[in-house]
Amino acid sequence: MVDRFLEGWSVYKESLIGKIGLTLLVIFALMALCSFFPPMIDPMYHPMTGVDPQISHSTSPSWRHWLGTDFIGRDILCQLLAGARIAFMVGISAAFMSILLGTTVGMIAGYSGKIVDTLLMRLADMIMVMPTLLVVLILSSLFGQLNIWTIVLLIALFRWPGVSRVIRAQTLSLKERPFIEAAKVTGASHFRIIFRHIMPNVLPLSLLYMTFRVTSAIIIEAALAFLGFGDPSTVSWGMMLQWVWKTGHMFQAPYWLLPPGICISLLTLSFYMLGRAMEEVLDPRLRKEVAQE
Amino acid sequence: MALLTVKNLSVGYHTRKGFLKSVQGVSFALDQGKSLGFVGESGCGKTTIGMALMGLLPNNASVTNGEILFEDQDLLKMSKKEIQQIRWKKIAMIFQAAMNALNPVHRVSDQIAEAILAHDADISKKTAMKQVESLFQLVGIPPDRMNDYPHHYSGGMKQRVIIAMALACHPSLIIADEPTTALDVIVQDQILSAIKDFRNKLKISVIFISHDIAVVADVCDTIGIMFAGQLVEYGRIEDVFYSPMHPYTQSLLSSYLTLNKDVVQLNAYLGKTPDLINPTTGCLFCERCTVAEATCSLRAPEWVKISPTHKALCSRCK
Amino acid sequence: MEIQKFVLKRLIEIFVIFFVILTVLFLLFRLAPGDPVTRMVDPTMTPEDAAYLIAQLGLDQPVWLQYIYYLKNFFTGNFGISFHYGVAVFSIILNRLPNTILLFSTSILLSAFAGIFLGKIASWHKGEKIDTWMTLGALICHTLFLPWLALIMIWIFGFHIGWFPLNGMISPEIWLDSSSGFWLKFLDVAHHMVLPLATLFLIHFGSYLLLMRSSMLDTLKEDYILTARAKGLDEKVIRNHHAAPNAALPVVTSVGISLAFSLSGGALTETVFSWPGIGRELVFAVSNSDYPLAQASFLLIATVVLISNLVVDVLYAYLDPRIKY
Repeated sequence: MVDRFLEGWSVYKESLIGKIGLTLLVIFALMALCSFFPPMIDPMYHPMTGVDPQISHSTSPSWRHWLGTDFIGRDILCQLLAGARIAFMVGISAAFMSILLGTTVGMIAGYSGKIVDTLLMRLADMIMVMPTLLVVLILSSLFGQLNIWTIVLLIALFRWPGVSRVIRAQTLSLKERPFIEAAKVTGASHFRIIFRHIMPNVLPLSLLYMTFRVTSAIIIEAALAFLGFGDPSTVSWGMMLQWVWKTGHMFQAPYWLLPPGICISLLTLSFYMLGRAMEEVLDPRLRKEVAQE
Repeated sequence: MALLTVKNLSVGYHTRKGFLKSVQGVSFALDQGKSLGFVGESGCGKTTIGMALMGLLPNNASVTNGEILFEDQDLLKMSKKEIQQIRWKKIAMIFQAAMNALNPVHRVSDQIAEAILAHDADISKKTAMKQVESLFQLVGIPPDRMNDYPHHYSGGMKQRVIIAMALACHPSLIIADEPTTALDVIVQDQILSAIKDFRNKLKISVIFISHDIAVVADVCDTIGIMFAGQLVEYGRIEDVFYSPMHPYTQSLLSSYLTLNKDVVQLNAYLGKTPDLINPTTGCLFCERCTVAEATCSLRAPEWVKISPTHKALCSRCK
Repeated sequence: MEIQKFVLKRLIEIFVIFFVILTVLFLLFRLAPGDPVTRMVDPTMTPEDAAYLIAQLGLDQPVWLQYIYYLKNFFTGNFGISFHYGVAVFSIILNRLPNTILLFSTSILLSAFAGIFLGKIASWHKGEKIDTWMTLGALICHTLFLPWLALIMIWIFGFHIGWFPLNGMISPEIWLDSSSGFWLKFLDVAHHMVLPLATLFLIHFGSYLLLMRSSMLDTLKEDYILTARAKGLDEKVIRNHHAAPNAALPVVTSVGISLAFSLSGGALTETVFSWPGIGRELVFAVSNSDYPLAQASFLLIATVVLISNLVVDVLYAYLDPRIKY
């Protein structure tokens, strides 16, 4: 296991895209970690509740507030850092859950075949057709304001079909291999075969797709927050953009308008780069080999 | 005057591990209406020769030496435009049927007509289509299949279409690269008949590339055996087939089962393919040779003329 | 002949999917907390009007009968009365639908064509500066956050430079003036459409460009390209006539797969630009707890997605002769 990882790492290192992506990710992770510090230094730096006693409107960057303040005097940089934390949290949890669900469904569908397979794949098709953002919207109209974890769950519930198709295809090809036959002969139960034998082989593919899922999860949450349907108690980048927009500061406060959008885009970009570099590791055909005779 | 004369052709590929010498010092000549076959295992360089003749070598390949004189003009010194004009009109190619040689989104008739129209500015589309029709009849496909798409054809039919397409501009030379591989024996026979047909009736020269010596023997007048990028034996079919001189040729022929002889011990050869990036100075076949001597690995072998029409590259055959 | 069978088969599938969506929505409507009646019928209505509406929608009936009413109403276009607008929901969404279709289809067509065209060019010049810039540009555009890009567009082009209106689809003065001719109105809409269209275009063309580029590079390695070269054809002809049609096929498929995502993006764009389409209506309806309108908007959007999928599938079947149905 470890050698496979190390071998993969050496290929990954060669990719420029992979290195840039990883660097950006590390920067964002540091941001997320740092988000805990400012409120500890001074309560006025708390992203949600920290109001500067001396300022009660939006101001441009200053020494006290490196990125300025929002419309009620809260520090923008702290909000940005907290947003990084939320982005990682939402992105990774939603992606993880959808991969968990998608991989399981994919394996079961591929392994079982026939009716179970058809039913599951039809279900996947139906879910894939739905625009996730709009589904969450209609659900929030029925169930009221959604809390962040509900949003994460909903995103996971609507994003698993994409993974499941790929995993199913992989499972179908693995199913015919001799080692599966051998396992059946020794009396292994279906459950055991799926999780002990098939799963380790589809796992790398799952992880790859997880990186793509993270970006879509972050974007959906940000869009929801932007439209005003996010969790009001969490400060995410989308929420920040909503505040800029709705409080009419769009045209006067570039220090407030620009950072959250740049962060969302850069984080998306870095996960995308990570995913592409990982693709090269996992699929040797994509590596830059020079053609032989 | 020979139609095609190749002198000392050397081609190599730039790879990550170094410069791979795929073809080394190959020379041969071909007259109009005659056919020449190249036989060898995978990686021996025979396809590279075919590609070099058409000017279709990939980007990482370079011709390091030699001349290719076609109708007294050196193809290697021609400009891109000049090569484009010669391609198909003078020299055409037949690819493997198993290959994806036909474009899946265009009709077969359009693809053949395209070749005709590209080389004849005065012809109209209608006339070109008429020619396509007669080509189909020539290779034995019902003309009502003309407007189908490639995926509608079976392997044998596709191969015939590829042959028809090669004949479209009435070339003087056709290079056939493994045209019968991946086809079943009955279809194989049909294709070979078709090739012999146009060779005899239309007097087209053929260069036939294959790993199957029996097939080449059926179609060609002259044969060249290739190993590790070098021509190791060359001569008329009768000479090489009945009196093979090079140890490699001998092992190739003996690894064949025939219906009219007793089963003889098969000479499976041991050893790996020779290193083409840093080839030895001696004979490249040495490692697998059953009659090698100590000097074989030190000194490069020279051509030995066995008869006016038969030569072999071996120090051991005199 | 075969295409017709295919379309029929897909239409049936769409019908089934739609049925499932309708049913699920109905169940959620019943299961959600709160009183279903007040959710569908505006409490501020007069009791007589309310009673009439309740009877029409079957809200006073047992659940299974309600379901029948629900389906019947849906297929007869009776979606109830909007809380916010006070008129029949059906008339509202009918009014909004063309606007969405206009913006949506134009943006998809433009970005697909541009993506295919530019991706093709990028692959020709692989490794050169133009390719690096194009790929980088596509990558950056592809990862931009759509609402944020929309805001930036308005800020720069609407506010600072002032070339384009800040929002909306029409200028009331022109449309209210009875002497305005067709062309003036057409140009007015086009003028308003530039920024939202540009936003959608920038977000989407990037992924099509990248896909077309890699597709072209793969296609150029195919055997039939070698055949085309052997025939002595010009490089330009080979790329445009032989490689590009094959390379474009995966891009068409990708357009189909990302339709749902494109519609979400469309809804966001409509909201920021105040473009009066169904997407924006859905967002507003949810904000205003106007459930009848929200439900109808959502269902209409679902229909648009499903029909668009069908259109793309048919287009693909038409383009790729290997597909036989």
